[in-house]
Amino acid sequence: MKYILSALFIMNTALASDSFLDSVNRMKWKDMDVVWIEDDKFPKFTASIYFQDGAMSDSISGVTQTTFDQLAAGTTKENQRELSEFFDFYGASLRHSVTHEYSVFSVQALAKDIAPVMGKVCEIFKDAQFPANELNSHISRAKSGLKNLVTSHASLADRVFRQVSLSGTPYAIPTEGTLESFDKMNPELLKERLKRLNKTRKVLYLAGPSDVKDIRKVIEKNCDWTNEIKMVPVELTKPEPQSSIYLVEVPGANQAQIRVGRYLTNNEFQNKHEIFQFMSRFLGGGFTSKLVQELRVKRGLTYSAGAYASMQRDYGRAGIMTFSKNETAAEAISIIRNVLGQVSVGQFEDKEFAHQKSHQIGGYAFAFEETNALLGQIMLYDHQKRPLSQLVNFPQVIEKISKSELASANMEVFSWDRQTIVVVGDKSLVKSLSRIRPVRVIKYQDYL
Amino acid sequence: MKFLFSLLMTSLLINGCSSLKKEKTLADSINLDVEELKLDNGMTALIVNNPKLPIFSLYLFYKVGGKNEVPGITGASHFLEHMMFKGAKKFGKNTLDFIIEGSGGSTNAYTTNDQTVYYENLPSKELNLILDIEADRLENLSLDEDDFNKERAVVLEERKMRYENSPRGQLYQEMMANFFEGTPYGRSVIGNIPDLKSVTREQMHAYFKKFYAPNNMTLVLVGDVNTSEAKRLIKEKFGKIPASPTVAQEHASLTDDQFKVTFKESKVVKKKGESPSPIFMMAYPTYKVGHPKGYALDVLSSILGSGKSSSLINEYILVNRPAATSMYAAHQQLEKAGLFFIGGELVRGIKVDDFRKDLQKKLLGYCETEITEKNIQKVKNNYLVDLYSGLDTNAALAQFLGDRQLLFGDWRSYKKELEQYEKVSVADVKAMCLETFNKDSVFVSVWNQHK
Repeated sequence: MKYILSALFIMNTALASDSFLDSVNRMKWKDMDVVWIEDDKFPKFTASIYFQDGAMSDSISGVTQTTFDQLAAGTTKENQRELSEFFDFYGASLRHSVTHEYSVFSVQALAKDIAPVMGKVCEIFKDAQFPANELNSHISRAKSGLKNLVTSHASLADRVFRQVSLSGTPYAIPTEGTLESFDKMNPELLKERLKRLNKTRKVLYLAGPSDVKDIRKVIEKNCDWTNEIKMVPVELTKPEPQSSIYLVEVPGANQAQIRVGRYLTNNEFQNKHEIFQFMSRFLGGGFTSKLVQELRVKRGLTYSAGAYASMQRDYGRAGIMTFSKNETAAEAISIIRNVLGQVSVGQFEDKEFAHQKSHQIGGYAFAFEETNALLGQIMLYDHQKRPLSQLVNFPQVIEKISKSELASANMEVFSWDRQTIVVVGDKSLVKSLSRIRPVRVIKYQDYL
Repeated sequence: MKFLFSLLMTSLLINGCSSLKKEKTLADSINLDVEELKLDNGMTALIVNNPKLPIFSLYLFYKVGGKNEVPGITGASHFLEHMMFKGAKKFGKNTLDFIIEGSGGSTNAYTTNDQTVYYENLPSKELNLILDIEADRLENLSLDEDDFNKERAVVLEERKMRYENSPRGQLYQEMMANFFEGTPYGRSVIGNIPDLKSVTREQMHAYFKKFYAPNNMTLVLVGDVNTSEAKRLIKEKFGKIPASPTVAQEHASLTDDQFKVTFKESKVVKKKGESPSPIFMMAYPTYKVGHPKGYALDVLSSILGSGKSSSLINEYILVNRPAATSMYAAHQQLEKAGLFFIGGELVRGIKVDDFRKDLQKKLLGYCETEITEKNIQKVKNNYLVDLYSGLDTNAALAQFLGDRQLLFGDWRSYKKELEQYEKVSVADVKAMCLETFNKDSVFVSVWNQHK
């Protein structure tokens, strides 16, 4: 009976999802691809411009991020203060994110203000001057922020983990920049970067009432965007086996941040997005996941634990993150190793497996609730060149996953010898961690 | 009230908002269609039907938080929040998470100085189940001894993460302890370590019995639900749970006078912490939630610290020689008292005492230079965008309604709030600026160079 109910539920959500596919309108404005989702719940709009170019093209670390950071720092006509006044007055929020493979610039404001706001966005993309005084001030703040990263042990762990676990690949370089790279930045470098971004292939993702499409004229007339440059794929080889634990020393910390994981190649991820997502949530997605149960509920070793296995287009990352007090950090790592080992050989109960399926299938509708999140999801699928039907068919694919498929996916991704382990904490942890693997103590300052 | 406003940004069931050209005032920008249910035992339920997707969010607001604790059991409200997930009579030990997540849902909770809030997001077909679970744990919480001791360790780990290993957490704790010294708001919401280690199951049970009652809570349900069926189920599950005869008295025993700040002159506190650059907070006393002067103070905080064109950002960050890497201003109104915060992170080499004196002087100067018609209009425009942007999910609307019901006693108060914001004038904001920044303040900094 339970199976029949769940199958019925899948049918219902699939029906709803068909109407979702109909609601995603794809258009061409000159040579720019446009995706519009009608959303008339409120008189506001979101315009997210996807650039098929990210930190991989950085001539020095952080230049793409800084270019976006400083885009509204001044044009030939207006200074930073005037531009800020303009956008703030309209309540327009400008956001950007830079990954290694692509960048996104997003604007959100009232729909009635779309013409002046997007007109100004076009102006800054066309005429940003990156004034030296504003850039120097920005660099000074960015460097100070980096030096202060030690105030957040979790953020520090994430930064060091990326550099260590992706070492030897072009993805190891932090998108945000480094203390060293900031010293090399200048206005000309940023202008060059912007010039390339303006010529890079881009897609406009738009959400709002139907009137927001009127913005076409403004963009075609004012933005000077072309699609000449396209991304070149990168081939990676599978990471080598690891033999150490990297201990990032933070004197006096009474809690250790733990990161375990590795990078994934495009070949490993091919046609496995759903099973890898299922696996990572089985391990560390929610209170009932294996790691949270073993680390928190059964032993009280941590407050939280999570796992992920996600992909951009040419590379992906899989990892586990948690923390524990110094006395139990090594025990927490041992438990992670045991859980990964057990799942890899299918040592988990039928009811745990069935529970995770109903969790992911039942919660599927939430992916469609928030317009901006949905826009981001569509953008990622497009970037990965995956059809949106895969998003729609997610419940059916999950339903068909077998226990042995889960075990072999876990074996493939989380085989212990290939995992990089990074611990951020006090040096006194060396003794207990050495029982797991030889420990290399590293200075966090070397990763800033 | 800014704190309220940011929570206000919730979801829909909002009528007539799609005109592109028509200018709207804040007050007529949203109209919520809410069904209200009052049970005989004093419980309030609010229901909003949103059939967009086959899902709903359920929020339960209990009027109990850090301020209701007494010395010796600090952290009890938050610890109890953790224990509420450990099982009750009908659904058994450690099954609650499995039932909720097994249905495709998610659940969590949070504790503040004034309230404890539990929430679930679930597929629509699970409404009966979740109401059963919530009623069961309200009526028959287990508080199993073994779970109690394991969860104690989890809470201590959470404390380490949020405060002991986080300079920003230390800063906030230190500010609240100093600003509200001697008042219930001065106690740590997550709890002092000795109290967390010594609190017993019996003490926790007594605390639970005192505050967890239908006449001390509000239930908010938003999503694809049949309103009449939801009302029937709520009556069926919660209607039989007896009201607490003493909880009103408990709240009455906390008078506003007990929350008045006691410092007689400005305080400067320097705390050694792991931060390589000084981080700071400066706070001035204001008014409790709902006070009419709060609206102008909210506008003032936005003028000073929201957006790149705000006064503090332009004074200290976006200049050739920045003194700070981040700055913010916020007006936080709690149920019994309020405070106006300025905070940020200084650039290395900037002397903390010099900066503090400069900031205090500049703040008074802003009362004359920064409170303009244009700046106030800018803040109102931003409120409208934030309002719409934040009203995008069932969960957000549920939280928005529940906050108002709990703190103002009426979910409809959002209309009055918006009208009040609309009316705020240059004179109002100037008056509050001068009044606030002429008061004594508490300045706390955390830095690894402090002794």
